[in-house]
Amino acid sequence: MPPGNEYAAEQLKSQGNTHFKNGDYGSAETLYSQAIQKNSKNPLLFTNRANARLKLEKWEEVIDDCLRSVELLKENMKAYFYLAQAQIAINHPNEALSSALMAYDLCTRSAQQTSNAATISALVLKCKKAKWDIRERDRIRRRADLLADLEASLEVTYKKDVSDIESRIEAGDVGKVEGAEEKGERRRDWEKRRDDLRTAFALSDPENLGKREVPDFLVDGITFEIMHDPVVTKNGRSYERATLIEHLKRNPTDPLTREPLTIAELRPNISLKDACTEFMEENKGWVYDCEDGEVDHDTRWAHLSSL
Amino acid sequence: MFASKRLSKELSKLHDKLPPGITLIKADDFTEWLMDIRVIDSNPLYQDEVYRLKFVFSQTYPIEAPEVVFVKDEDHPIPWHPHVYSNGIICLDLLDRQGWSPVHNVESVCVSLQSMLTSNTKQERPPGDEHFVKHNKQRPKDINFVFHDNQV
Repeated sequence: MPPGNEYAAEQLKSQGNTHFKNGDYGSAETLYSQAIQKNSKNPLLFTNRANARLKLEKWEEVIDDCLRSVELLKENMKAYFYLAQAQIAINHPNEALSSALMAYDLCTRSAQQTSNAATISALVLKCKKAKWDIRERDRIRRRADLLADLEASLEVTYKKDVSDIESRIEAGDVGKVEGAEEKGERRRDWEKRRDDLRTAFALSDPENLGKREVPDFLVDGITFEIMHDPVVTKNGRSYERATLIEHLKRNPTDPLTREPLTIAELRPNISLKDACTEFMEENKGWVYDCEDGEVDHDTRWAHLSSL
Repeated sequence: MFASKRLSKELSKLHDKLPPGITLIKADDFTEWLMDIRVIDSNPLYQDEVYRLKFVFSQTYPIEAPEVVFVKDEDHPIPWHPHVYSNGIICLDLLDRQGWSPVHNVESVCVSLQSMLTSNTKQERPPGDEHFVKHNKQRPKDINFVFHDNQV
């Protein structure tokens, strides 16, 4: 690399950052690309361009940038964070979830324990929900297929019965009136069986089961949401890691007892985490049906790009 | 960051059930709510009166405390209390930076204020009330209250 290129790349990058802050993502992308031509060894240039491309919804290119950035810097929280968002956008929730978990892991292991944990935590939940949605859609489709098959075979039996009766009427084995009565009976019989079948399917649908409430012991006392990475404090209470850290950064005391408490004293609560995961698996998507819409995405990403 | 989510959950709980003497008046958004409180026990200071509380939430609620004040209008006086200024500003450790904890919520704040009134017998304002009301320009949570006593 000719001398001076690294400097030139930095200049282009900060121009790109300015455009990004002003919401001109197209120009930001161009400037980052020029910076990469000057210096292709800086992983930050790739993550910055990925962030601009996220805004421009160029998902495939976001993925390329993130992977190249990870090649240059393995423990790359931002790259995994953007990667997960692009993967979820192109409907690859499994890959998105592993990327998001990677970002979360890197975030909690980092010395700063930055407020990104809460943002990434929300993304993890979103990926889990997307993954569940796909599974659920398949399940409904399979159920619908099965129901349709069973209904069709009931109908085939009914039609066969009717045509039997008709041929017996034609052959003079039964009178017209009796035959018509018999046909009416078969029809009522068929309709009842079909309704019973539909009822049975409706009853077995988890959608119709039980009261939808997350038990209090799985809910974080700060966000009121089901926990995904609970940590336990000295007094035995558990909280979601990301939110408790937010509190401890401002006020290093136990939220309940007000005794001194530091981030280093927190321990993961693995059994509770498993219980939360199991509950989410069993109760499927409705657990996640929280109001995503109210979160202002732009401000959430904004503080990440200033890293 | 999670203020609106958390508040929407609190709101559905408030619609569900509230302790006696506490009523939700207005919660059209996630920035400002109005709650009414009444003292249930027979305390002659607060007989037949209803007090209106205004909660103002920041984006960082519940990590940071909400701003809570009594508001005065034709039907709602400011209750007598040695920790409540006549402009409605409340001096309660629970509501300042150090005393707040994110496990508190709108309901628990209302209950605390209700019990703070219930146990009070003094028809008084905080010392220096007149001067404070005239000159204070600070937001309630930025005021560095000196807690005169911890019994009230």
